[in-house]
Amino acid sequence: MTVECLTGKKVLIKGNYAIAQAAVLAGCDCYFGYPITPQSEIGEYLSGKMQELGRGYVSAESEIASINMVIGACATGARAMTSSSSCAVSLMQEGLSYACTDELPVVLVSVMRGGPGLGNIYPSQGDYYQSVKGGGNGDYRTIVLAPSTVQECADLTYKAFYLAHKYKTPTILLADGLLGQMMEPVEFKPYPYEDIDNSDWALSGAKGREPRIIRSYGPLADDRCEFLEKLFAKYKTIEENETMWEENNTEEADIVLVSFGSTSRNVNTAAKILREKGYKVGTFRPITLFPFPNKRLAELAQKVKMFVTVEVNMGQMVDDVRLAVNGKVPVELVHKGVGAPPDPEYIAAQVEGLI
Amino acid sequence: MEKDFIIAGFGGQGVLLAGEVLANTFMIDDKNVTWYPSYGAEMRGGTVNCTVVMSDEDVSAVQKSKAEFIIVLNQASFDKFTSWVKPGGTIIVNSSLAEVKKTRNDINYVFVPITQMAQEKLENTRMSNILALGILAKVSGLIFVENLAKALENVIPPHRKNLIPKNIEALKLGYEYDLLNV
Amino acid sequence: MTTQVFKLPESLKKDAKYTFCPGCDHGVAVRLVAEVIDELGIREDAIVAAAIGCSVTIYDFINIDALESPHGRAMAVATGIKRAKPDKFVFTYQGDGDFASIGWAESMHAALRGEKISSICINNTTFGMTGGQLGPTTMMGQVTTTSPTGRNEEYYGYPIKMAEHMALCDGVAFSARVSLDSVANIRKAKQAIKKAFEVQLQGLGLGFVEILAGCPTNWRMSPEQAHDRVKNEMMQTFKLGIYKDITAQQ
Repeated sequence: MTVECLTGKKVLIKGNYAIAQAAVLAGCDCYFGYPITPQSEIGEYLSGKMQELGRGYVSAESEIASINMVIGACATGARAMTSSSSCAVSLMQEGLSYACTDELPVVLVSVMRGGPGLGNIYPSQGDYYQSVKGGGNGDYRTIVLAPSTVQECADLTYKAFYLAHKYKTPTILLADGLLGQMMEPVEFKPYPYEDIDNSDWALSGAKGREPRIIRSYGPLADDRCEFLEKLFAKYKTIEENETMWEENNTEEADIVLVSFGSTSRNVNTAAKILREKGYKVGTFRPITLFPFPNKRLAELAQKVKMFVTVEVNMGQMVDDVRLAVNGKVPVELVHKGVGAPPDPEYIAAQVEGLI
Repeated sequence: MEKDFIIAGFGGQGVLLAGEVLANTFMIDDKNVTWYPSYGAEMRGGTVNCTVVMSDEDVSAVQKSKAEFIIVLNQASFDKFTSWVKPGGTIIVNSSLAEVKKTRNDINYVFVPITQMAQEKLENTRMSNILALGILAKVSGLIFVENLAKALENVIPPHRKNLIPKNIEALKLGYEYDLLNV
Repeated sequence: MTTQVFKLPESLKKDAKYTFCPGCDHGVAVRLVAEVIDELGIREDAIVAAAIGCSVTIYDFINIDALESPHGRAMAVATGIKRAKPDKFVFTYQGDGDFASIGWAESMHAALRGEKISSICINNTTFGMTGGQLGPTTMMGQVTTTSPTGRNEEYYGYPIKMAEHMALCDGVAFSARVSLDSVANIRKAKQAIKKAFEVQLQGLGLGFVEILAGCPTNWRMSPEQAHDRVKNEMMQTFKLGIYKDITAQQ
């Protein structure tokens, strides 16, 4: 791979390389990772690039080690990330739970493959629950960003670093094998966000100040309710400020197709097919899976007749759409267990069958 | 307008690279384009393929099970992908490594001894993939050969730039191959 | 005229209330660490990766920046800190269960990578915090709450010798096993800790010290009996000494 650290020029690039390149441009200080298909290109690219730039890189001994190295680096205020896939992201759940309690700006790139278990290496959206509901212990949330194109893989990688540091909250970039492996033209714009000052909490050595302790045991030991209330107040702020979605043709729609990530491209095409047949169909794509665009979906539920969620899993996001819609109108599911997203024609036919 | 292309062969024939060159060509032509490979276990010795979708609007889907143009560089790919050609579409077959046999009458067959030509005219069978792109440019009428040459610049790494003239030669050889003599 | 012969190291918090059990050697170990940090003048650059178990409480006593690590992950966490901030002094303070059982992979690989960090590990042959269960260092025949008839090879296999293993790793610059059972040994322990810290400061590699320590509570012994056990029993299995010192080889 020969991707230069240049902005303002279109390059045809794999999603995995786009993420890696964007991390470099976002000022990622350290990368720690362990190979797993379909995201190994991220570590391959960064192994050379980070060394070339004199930044931190470790081929970790496991994903457990990777996430904990990220925790260590983030505790110093550094921009640090790891990347992995499905069964190996499972190994990071303990670390994510700690990082949430420690309030550390961890960035995790999760490129989903088939599951459960070892599953397979093909694309999947089966880790919606794992990312949004959390697989670690206790009450916590992570910000989850779901790109649908390779350009968005790059743009949302920037955003992941920004949000993680702004809110001191672990942030997951949730891609899938299709996005990771496919190529698409990308323009690498300059990192657009401000630097976040972390000098009031980062570990830097107790020079001219009292020592700092970053820990998950202390805050919960005595005042557990107060700490959790504070943590969830922060999540509320994130929900108010950072919820992102994309909607098209929803104003006049009877039916709204809801999907996220790489599936949305096929869903947009399916909606077009249905509109050409005379159906009033709109599309809705949550870009942040946490915070989930509940409010907007609830608003739409006042005027549309039906939602259809389209996913490459056995039906996961459909639960959140149902919660948002709260029984106002039916929320149906069109899905495929694993693999590349279903053909637009198939989606259109399935939706037509539900009407 | 949206057109789908599949390039298939066995590992080592440069199938993914050819697809990357093709996709770059469309990018240079300001089209929307996606490239998607077969990946993982299939990389190890078996057949390899990639799908390139070119569109004036948003690409409708990245993975396709039908395509207007399919290049098959070996017999296994010919067997697998013949049924994937859209009616009225074209399959370009490397007749050096696949039997000249038509099983459908609703598609166009272009049989070219690609490997043999690469060996005889370029003294390098590894140029087969790029030669095939030259043929595709001629057959499809959708690709500018000049853009293919520019795309090579994007794809071939800096330390291999010396290979570019030879690759351009391969492109021209494919493009100028007399299809009427097939 | 009076001369001050004993004072609290600056690297220990002045108002800290020690929560270790009576007779526990953790208190001595933490103090030695603090004294060495003072003597090397690195307090303001030091960051400790604390572990899970009794050792975690080091951050309540030590007057430096600290990050708590998930159980077993201190060496990975310390790796992350050091890679992000190579100019800081980074060390772990762990117990044997954390370092050599749940965290053995992280410990070994940090050693093999030659991370420029230091690690202090307490060996008291048991899981202390959870009530004295069999751990990776529990000795043959030792009765614990999960080896009620004593450790036997058939059910439990054999204890791990951390200092020897660490010495085998090419990335380790210094590896030693010391004890806190006597004044003489405490002095040697402090020297070893200092050496383990110095090799990091010199950029030579990882410095490791395994400290044999009494756990009177879980051993159901008096502090004196515990130290006798360290001397008479533990040192038979876990021989004291410097297993690697690349500065001596030079």
